[in-house]
Amino acid sequence: MIFDRTKEVRLRVVCNLIFFVCLILSSCSEKTSDIKILWTDGKATGISIPRNSIGNISGSPEQSMIVHLVTEQQPVAMMGNYKATDDEIIFEPLIPFTRGMHYAVRVNDKQISTIEIPAAHDLPALITVYPTGDTVPENLLKIYLHFSKPMQEGVSAKYITLLQNQDTVHGAFLDLQPELWNEDRTLLTIWLDPGRIKRDLIPNKRLGTPLLKGNRYSVVVSNRWKDTQGLTLMRSFTKEFFVEDRDSISPDPKRWKLHVPASGSTEGFSLEFNAPLDYSLLMSTMSVVNESGKKIDGRWQLGDEEERMYFTPAQHWPVGHYVLQVETRLEDLAGNNLNRLFDEDISRGRKPSPMGAFVSIDFFVK
Amino acid sequence: MKKSISFLLLAVVLGVVIMAFTDRSDKSPYGMTVGTPDIKSITSLAFGPDAILLIGDSKGATVFAVDTKDMSKVEKGAAIDLKGIDQKIASLLGTTLENVAIQDMAVNPISKKVYVAVQSADGTPVLLTIEGDKIQPVSLKEVPFSSIALNNAPAEDAKDQRGRPLRVSSISDLAYADGKVMVSGLSNQEFASTFRSMSFPFTNKQDAASLEIYHAAHGKYETASPIKTFTTATISGKKYLIASYTCTPLVLFPLDELKPGTHVKGRTVAEMGSGNQPLDMITMNANGKSYLIMANSSRPVFRVNFKNIEAFQGSLTTPVEENFATEGVPFVNMPITNVLQLDKMDENRMVILQRKSNGSLDLWTTDNAPWYLQ
Repeated sequence: MIFDRTKEVRLRVVCNLIFFVCLILSSCSEKTSDIKILWTDGKATGISIPRNSIGNISGSPEQSMIVHLVTEQQPVAMMGNYKATDDEIIFEPLIPFTRGMHYAVRVNDKQISTIEIPAAHDLPALITVYPTGDTVPENLLKIYLHFSKPMQEGVSAKYITLLQNQDTVHGAFLDLQPELWNEDRTLLTIWLDPGRIKRDLIPNKRLGTPLLKGNRYSVVVSNRWKDTQGLTLMRSFTKEFFVEDRDSISPDPKRWKLHVPASGSTEGFSLEFNAPLDYSLLMSTMSVVNESGKKIDGRWQLGDEEERMYFTPAQHWPVGHYVLQVETRLEDLAGNNLNRLFDEDISRGRKPSPMGAFVSIDFFVK
Repeated sequence: MKKSISFLLLAVVLGVVIMAFTDRSDKSPYGMTVGTPDIKSITSLAFGPDAILLIGDSKGATVFAVDTKDMSKVEKGAAIDLKGIDQKIASLLGTTLENVAIQDMAVNPISKKVYVAVQSADGTPVLLTIEGDKIQPVSLKEVPFSSIALNNAPAEDAKDQRGRPLRVSSISDLAYADGKVMVSGLSNQEFASTFRSMSFPFTNKQDAASLEIYHAAHGKYETASPIKTFTTATISGKKYLIASYTCTPLVLFPLDELKPGTHVKGRTVAEMGSGNQPLDMITMNANGKSYLIMANSSRPVFRVNFKNIEAFQGSLTTPVEENFATEGVPFVNMPITNVLQLDKMDENRMVILQRKSNGSLDLWTTDNAPWYLQ
């Protein structure tokens, strides 16, 4: 039995060797350099095949020629459009050619040329996982993964693992399809299963919260995850954190501290929270206006593991009265916003929202 | 002279009238213009009237309506039995299996062709049709189309230090019924439902109706919950939106109560167990019976008889007695597992995208399995 398997493996190795030797030989014997790759935004969106390399063809190009991926299987004509001019035939596939793969051009069922689409080189990296702090509440609702390059979608469940003492914690994250990626596919939002966080729901009662207080966990992101160019992450990423008590209190703006700059400076002000808040909402819910209600242009930056926000104005601060407006949809790490808790206890009756859509914090620059 | 001026005037008037009529006849009845829609992703598909394909674009936070002109009426669509559909699509696209993902599918109710949305690993969206064993691309260049943006958020979205947008508005499901396009959405910032019902042809006005849900499994704590999948149906002569949430309760909303700006409370008719994600939902009318068919991430396909939904007049507003239990309307576990997508081919047949136990992703019509709907 062992002998048979070894034989089988050997046979496969030999077959593969023959295939690649044939591929290299065929590549050498054909004028690969004649085919030009057409690039758009770093993607190989077409190839240009000189007329003189294919001889005479009758009718439209697609009647006598195909472009296909070079594999061990029978060639399958790629979907795409052919454009013919006097000097060249341009083939634009339905999706860009895949980096690092070989393609062949066949005319009247005879291979006339092959081309390799060069692999990309600039490896992607996972830059930050939010929250960046090393302590989170038991009812942590979401994490954000920030990559340096656009990543492949729909595969996060395969590459993100939650570990507790080296043991995988199953069913911690909500496997949402489509996943929550930003437009350029560099920011992914992952929910910890809300059914397990909402008190009294069946998953919560049966399995408990995905994170249990008093324990140390790590989120591990595998370096096998590929970007949209087919390159894997530069390295694996591990983020360790400790889980503390459940957070069942809404963030309270009255407890925040505002450090105001002096007039005439371009120094920013900083706003200090008494607990870390949600990364994405922090960057989306704040604005500064002057006395006449005009928005002050400037730059917002996070600090102190999402416990502080800095605002640097584009211009010098004139003396005056300013208002920092914060949307009340701003949440803490457990999904409690300024107006309500993530899971409201309705048995105590509905409370009217204590604030409207905004909270205003006045300050004076002297 | 006077006569010739009168003739000239008459000719001009006639010309203007003819031109006006000509212009009108060129225009699509659905207010579409010919061009190339800027589609960034195809995450949901549904058919509207007259073979108009509705495309949910999560990346662009937009719904596109494209006139496919695929109007050749077919009574019975060709049977499909395509094993390794993802491998076949990958070969046709000139790449390997791991570089393609099927996002959604919808059957054109007129031509019975299956429209399939595919995304390549580099993010390029592709639209294909499948008819029998024929797979063909659908060009989205120079087509009659219209679109509507879904973002109610301020025009300028918050960006990070590198100028990348932070807000994500993903479309979880899309459907057309009675002149309305309905869209359920998820946001990465709030765990809540954004459900929109919009008139079609699109106008600039969006009738956003936000929906609330009360889970049967918790008599005490209430949270908003995003809709994962939905369909519409008529129950006891009344039209309903039937929705399922990420933790699988089945909820009814009367369609006529989905008014702009109102908060509608759904009636939870079934808790279908935990640890499961609803994936797709359709309504089938076969053999004199109406069924709701639902595909799930970690359960077999569920079949619910609409008669039972009609008969269940209550709402699961109190905690279920036993944990782990399912409650409310009874449903049947069908002997099909790992179904990722399903749609109605015709009255008696479904088209199913299924990951088989040998790992193969197969697309097949239920021609040889009529008992599923008996």
